[in-house]
Amino acid sequence: MIRKILVAALATSLALASSAAAFAQEAGKVGVVVKIGGIPWFNAMEAGIKERGQKLGIDAFMVGPTSADPALQVRAIEDLIAQGVKVIGVVPNDAKVLEPVLTKAKEKGIIVITHESPSQKGADWDFELASSTGFGEAHGKLLAEKMGGKGEYAVFVGSLTVPLHNAWADAAIAYIKKNYPDMALVGDRYGVAEDVDKSRSTALDLISAHPNLKGFLAFGSQGPIGAGRAVEERRKIGEIFVLGPFSPGQGQKLVKSDAISGGFMWNPKQAGEVFVTLADKLMKGEEVKDGDEIEGLGRVKPDFDNRNIIVDQLVPINKDTVADLAAMGL
Amino acid sequence: MSTIVERVKTLFGPEMAGPGLAFLAVVLTFGIASPQFLSVATFGSVAFQLPELGLLTLAMLLPILTGGLNLAITFTANIAGLTLAWVLQANGGVDAGPGAFVLGSVLALLVGAASGVIMGLVIAFTRAHPILVSLSMMIFLRGLGEFLTRGGDVSGFPAFLGPLGHGSLLGVPIPLIVFIACVFAWNLLLSRSKLGFNTYMIGSNLDATRYSGINTRKVIVLVYARSGAMCAIAGIIMLARFNSVRIGHGESYLLITVLACFLGGVNPFGGFGRVIPVFVALVVLQLLSSGLNLVGANQHLATAVWGLLLAGVMVLRFVATKFKISFVRKET
Repeated sequence: MIRKILVAALATSLALASSAAAFAQEAGKVGVVVKIGGIPWFNAMEAGIKERGQKLGIDAFMVGPTSADPALQVRAIEDLIAQGVKVIGVVPNDAKVLEPVLTKAKEKGIIVITHESPSQKGADWDFELASSTGFGEAHGKLLAEKMGGKGEYAVFVGSLTVPLHNAWADAAIAYIKKNYPDMALVGDRYGVAEDVDKSRSTALDLISAHPNLKGFLAFGSQGPIGAGRAVEERRKIGEIFVLGPFSPGQGQKLVKSDAISGGFMWNPKQAGEVFVTLADKLMKGEEVKDGDEIEGLGRVKPDFDNRNIIVDQLVPINKDTVADLAAMGL
Repeated sequence: MSTIVERVKTLFGPEMAGPGLAFLAVVLTFGIASPQFLSVATFGSVAFQLPELGLLTLAMLLPILTGGLNLAITFTANIAGLTLAWVLQANGGVDAGPGAFVLGSVLALLVGAASGVIMGLVIAFTRAHPILVSLSMMIFLRGLGEFLTRGGDVSGFPAFLGPLGHGSLLGVPIPLIVFIACVFAWNLLLSRSKLGFNTYMIGSNLDATRYSGINTRKVIVLVYARSGAMCAIAGIIMLARFNSVRIGHGESYLLITVLACFLGGVNPFGGFGRVIPVFVALVVLQLLSSGLNLVGANQHLATAVWGLLLAGVMVLRFVATKFKISFVRKET
């Protein structure tokens, strides 16, 4: 008897918990599977998906697996297929693992949109909010402006084997070389920017070794933080400028004290909105065309062969924006 | 009437009560909560997702029955998968023929079994705790795999492997067919073979089993070898499903396999447990997870509900056994 009561209690509690979330909507559903749930980056993306979904009247939701295991993404996508969604969005952990299941989704007539996975096989479109050249050039340009177009600068990357960081660095260095001939790169690039302490000590060494050093360009989440601390320690704020992408929450103090001059990132919330906007457009049977104006992406120039839409929608991190970005938990 | 009940009881055993009721509860709850739940699509999704986790659970089941644990299952599966991947690559990658696949699968099974044999030998001869031994094996295999692949993935397989992961035969997913065949094999092994009997005996009382003239060391080595071979089958299915092998694939399955075993009424200290209730428990877990996905619940909530379900079933079982005992006492 007690067993029956317990089962009944379990069943009703489950029913209550789920009925709140269960509202079947006939207009196509949009499910977005991200790398992992419950971290600030994807919480911001979820907010974007929800807001945009409400605005357009689409049932759009995010599925965040409990660990960054690609196997869990496959399972989540299979459940979305079973659920009969119209559009599946994915931020893949592993592009290859998802190929078969995305192909399966496409065979069922589901539209597939990916993000941060250019030329994904099995996807209808992939969109990127930052191109590697655009991202690198934006940083190079800002550094040159801060330094007044002359002086020596050093470049940090996360590691010499991280393709993305090196592509950014290549673009930045090439841009500076072309437009600001009076600026000189010190040494080669240093692969320290994923480690705060290494970035700090390398920056301290470089400041000692090169009295004319006026700037640090650090690609890698910890690079700007470490270099900024070094500049603060040597009391060179205002003389040496530190730039690069970093976590606003972590770097907020250094930005406020001017030890870090700024940098760029792209906004996960905006990416979430773009998922829904694109889904809405494609569900209506519209095609993405050259020169289209899409909200959140701006004017697009799609690469029709590889099915990529790459734009530069960079968000500056500086004194004015850092507090808001940090408040989003980024 | 009572004979039918008796027959059902003997067929499924008392362990069936927990998972069986949980199954009914889950199906009813989601059937009411979401109109799409009781549809072919949901069961198709469940049928495709069940096998890889299920095969790993079978690999976990045997060691648990001896009172041990095999924490190395996911990494054994991936190392075996890598073996097959390399054999396929050495024989032309995308153009590799069925011969290479058969050879690779045999080697993968051997590699899986070898990992089990090593663990079994260490456990049997040093009498170190299986958790420690399999944890060392898990760390070793993970490191080895990351060293050999540099953390990346191996891919580029012939097209005929696709159906093994995503195809259907007469409407039944092929991975599910493989899984059900393995469930029957395991059921046969445990209920009909000498090794199965000895496995239960060791789990109940190792010393008593040894004093009754059974070579317990041999049994333990054989049990872990079979567990490793089952991992290899899981690895081959995972290779086909994920279209690539990386040492970290399916890492998150490890504890879920333990959960499924306990939910299926397997005694954590060994000696008691059957295959069929574990199978039902797996179906329950999968239905629960797919059902929560269907109603759009948070994935972390799904994990929490799994935990609650396990705790609930444990309490139910405790209450049930207590009631039974007092009932029997009253009668006598």
